[in-house]
Amino acid sequence: MTSDTDRRPAEERLREVFAHLGAVTAYARRRGSRDADGIAAEAMSIAWRRLADVPCDDPLPWLYATARNLLLAERRAASRTAAAGSEPSVPAPELHELDPQLDRALRSLCPADREALLLVAWEDLAPTQAARALGLKPTAFRVRLLRARRRLRAALDEERRPASLVQIDVEGT
Amino acid sequence: MTDLTLNRLRAANPFPAATAVDEDALFDRIVLAPADRRLARKPRSYRRPVLVLAAALVVGGVLASGAVSGWFSHIIAGPTVKAEYAAAQNLLTMPPGYSWPPLNWPRNSVTSSGAGGAFAVSLDQDAWECYWVDAIHSGDLDAEQRAQAALDDLMANHIVIAPAGAPEDYAPPQSAGTPTLAFADDGGYQYKQRMYAQAAAGKPQLLEQSCRANGPGSRR
Repeated sequence: MTSDTDRRPAEERLREVFAHLGAVTAYARRRGSRDADGIAAEAMSIAWRRLADVPCDDPLPWLYATARNLLLAERRAASRTAAAGSEPSVPAPELHELDPQLDRALRSLCPADREALLLVAWEDLAPTQAARALGLKPTAFRVRLLRARRRLRAALDEERRPASLVQIDVEGT
Repeated sequence: MTDLTLNRLRAANPFPAATAVDEDALFDRIVLAPADRRLARKPRSYRRPVLVLAAALVVGGVLASGAVSGWFSHIIAGPTVKAEYAAAQNLLTMPPGYSWPPLNWPRNSVTSSGAGGAFAVSLDQDAWECYWVDAIHSGDLDAEQRAQAALDDLMANHIVIAPAGAPEDYAPPQSAGTPTLAFADDGGYQYKQRMYAQAAAGKPQLLEQSCRANGPGSRR
């Protein structure tokens, strides 16, 4: 990988991967990153360094998986900083733009269920792509997605219940 | 996927797929770094069995002659690698708050002479980069200068560029006494120099990326 002739095919291949920069940035932003552009840029740098690992036909699931790992590292670093007291803990802006019912319903799901739903609904991945992004077999992913949909529906139904009923329940305990 | 719940979730998608960064500049910056070396490997060609047999006979003959006993003196195994790693720790300094991680090297695995020292140089460089990033974030100018000086020293005295066309197991000649890391001749050394110059000029983005990718936290 020393001459321009050697690098050109690699650069062309990276161009194809790089076309997904906007999608990866939006993914990081939707998941609450404070530095979505930085996460996307780092995912692309990693793709360049590990280009042989990036699937030629469909790099997007690989990029989302890489971005998710970077997001987790960002969260860990933020919690360490907050724990050390050097910076006030700022809640992740994740899901802030949503209507409150949907926001609460999504937050009530476990992270694995929520990620399965969001990869399909927001990232517009096919189940097989989303399965690759999560390192799951397609069948396992479909089962997880089905359960996540049911749980989200149940949570939304719960949200729709009249507040007075909920209060009677609470007062009666 | 016609579920009403999912449709509602889809409609609530809060951000479009757009980025505010200068994509061309970012692309150019990324490809400045060394590319994945695995892409440069030529596909394996099938050789005729006769040639393989002839080569085996030649190698066997040379080995039998005893003329090659010295050829493998640069190959070392686990205990030597660990000894080199330990010796290097006496010659290199970790930044405050960092410590040398234990080196897990299988006893029956071999490598080139100097690999233990090279591994220590690499870890030391990663640690100082992260120390520098922390110093920048906390505005500690003394720590920033310490980090820059330590990295300059590593680049000048412990990191070399392998000659063009050198094999993957290239061992620098001075590695016997001084822990030395050899960078391939693919622009990686110059990339590090640019990274440090930019960080010193108040643009630590590349340094931060390197710390995120290679720093002690990334190895957990």
